[in-house]
Amino acid sequence: MVEQVNSFAIKTKNVSVHYGNKMAIDDVTINFTKNDVTSLIGPSGCGKSTFLRCLNRMNDVIESCKVQGEFLLNGVTDIYGDSIQVETLREKIGMVFQKPNPFPKSIFENVAYGPKIHGLASTQSELNDIVMESLNRAGLYEEVKDRMDDIATGLSGGQQQRLCIARAIAIRPEIILMDEPCSALDPIATARIEELINELKEKYTIIIVTHSMSQASRISQRTAFFHLGKLIEHGDTSKIFTKPDKEQTNDYITGRFG
Amino acid sequence: MNSLNKRLSAEKRFQAYGLFAVALSMFFVLILMWKIFSTGSGAFVRTTIEANVFFNPDFIQVNQNSLEKELYRASYVALADEVVRQNHPKLNEEQFIKVREMYTRKFDYQLRDYLLDNPDKIGQSIIMKITASSDLDQIVKGNYPRDVPEAQRKINDYQLSVLDKLTSEGKVSSVFNFWFFTKGDSRDPESAGIWGAVMGSLYALIICFSFAFPIGLLASVYLEEFVKPGKVTDIIEVNINNLAAVPSIVFGLLGLGMLIGVIGLPYQVPLVGGLVLGFMTLPTIIIASRASLRSVPPSIREGALAVGATKMQTVFHHVIPLSLPGTLTGTIIGMAQALGETAPLLMIGMVAFVMEIPGGPLDPATGLPSQIYLWSESAERGFLEKTSAGIMLLLLFLIIMNTAAVVIRRRLEVKW
Repeated sequence: MVEQVNSFAIKTKNVSVHYGNKMAIDDVTINFTKNDVTSLIGPSGCGKSTFLRCLNRMNDVIESCKVQGEFLLNGVTDIYGDSIQVETLREKIGMVFQKPNPFPKSIFENVAYGPKIHGLASTQSELNDIVMESLNRAGLYEEVKDRMDDIATGLSGGQQQRLCIARAIAIRPEIILMDEPCSALDPIATARIEELINELKEKYTIIIVTHSMSQASRISQRTAFFHLGKLIEHGDTSKIFTKPDKEQTNDYITGRFG
Repeated sequence: MNSLNKRLSAEKRFQAYGLFAVALSMFFVLILMWKIFSTGSGAFVRTTIEANVFFNPDFIQVNQNSLEKELYRASYVALADEVVRQNHPKLNEEQFIKVREMYTRKFDYQLRDYLLDNPDKIGQSIIMKITASSDLDQIVKGNYPRDVPEAQRKINDYQLSVLDKLTSEGKVSSVFNFWFFTKGDSRDPESAGIWGAVMGSLYALIICFSFAFPIGLLASVYLEEFVKPGKVTDIIEVNINNLAAVPSIVFGLLGLGMLIGVIGLPYQVPLVGGLVLGFMTLPTIIIASRASLRSVPPSIREGALAVGATKMQTVFHHVIPLSLPGTLTGTIIGMAQALGETAPLLMIGMVAFVMEIPGGPLDPATGLPSQIYLWSESAERGFLEKTSAGIMLLLLFLIIMNTAAVVIRRRLEVKW
């Protein structure tokens, strides 16, 4: 049982989220296994993005958002507790957003920014190494190595998103949250990112929100189905997509609603 | 089909009205420009009379060994009179007074300045172009009619005959009026310049910028990024917007009452003028800065927060640099408005007759618009062209500042 606790990257229990009086997440309990890709699927407005953003406290900035419930990082650290600062938390839990959002600075600066503010590199050459390694791991290095000083917003959409992934992994997180990272990309760029996610799961725990069920089935080991703020079903992807326990899940994945 | 024709002709009519409105406003702008330029261009040349100047040591009581200080302190009035007598031989005393009036009153200073630059000319003769009096200048430029009765003329018949004689000898000529750009104000139109007012305005704008820009930027960053929205911020927001529409003379009164009255800062100095213009510009800067902070996409803030930046790092590393072009543009436009503002300067005394060119923000000074206002009130015809020329200079500065604002926005703005 002790082993079981340690194999979870994040454990959550009885999570409820309200925007003002409106309930967005209703009593969700879900654990995320380490070094797996977990997909959160469900129709629009089901609360999957809200739930994802609770995991690294990105909802803190939204005034009306109230989060209740238990969140444990590696089974011990309370994510909303006093023992961890939100900046340290986000160093451990990185995030990639729906729309690529590189800083309008050079490609190098984009990746180097995180390591710089967290003091991960003491010399310039260390910083160069981190940037190079991160870009390499994000599969972007070969494409941009000759133009590291060019402004990042000049890259293509798919390159920008891979740059954002490089930016996220440059601070050596344990977990990467991805909020529909391919929804603004064309099929080729999407395939490239999916390939990348497959490689990254060796080192990181990945939790990804996606609208595409085929994507969920391609890239994830675990899938959680949300509907109207409730977690309907959570389990191995192969099981969810072949013989789900719940009628609702079956209806959704076969395209009967959503 | 009939109704379609009706709608189409309605559109044609509407376009015709619009074209007419644009043409009419262009016409008024052209009239304004033509009036200013035709009146003001005369200020850039001044009439001179050629004369032989013999720097006779006896008249100025100096010699070749005199120090610069002595040359500076010496009186050149007698020498000036002597130059006039030499240039017009055989004058009786009454005629001499009339002829002396044709030269600028201050030409003893012109002689002194020449000698200070060329001390070796003591005891020697040179040919010098001596500035004519403003009244003669206006006659030569054709601004005063010659064919009216003598009693209505500032230049009498005898002076006119002398002028015609000088003209026929080729001694009357026009030179580019550097004085207008290098001198301070003067009672005599021919030696009045705008430089003192330009420097006064420059010091005031420097003070205005260094006071209003940091305060405006910090206030807007705090209001936009850090403070929780609530009743108090709503009230502040409404008040900032209202302050932007408060008549500028009210800010002048504030400066007079508070800065000069309570704090005890000196009267008619650019320091106070700049602070008052700063008060006036603050709301403009805050509004522009908040708008440009708001236009930074939230995704940039999220991106920075997601890699573990603190709120302040997010704001200072990413949000402010991206909003700066908009803030600077707003600031420059606000300062361009401040440059043309006369009323606050009137209230704090920057509208006095100041001959000296101010050497710093604590020297008495006028501003460009108040100098124009002063000249426009003067009776002499010579100040009329100075007024228009001053307006031309003011417009030039405004065009430069507004162009700078556009260039900054184009160059630095990030395209999303």
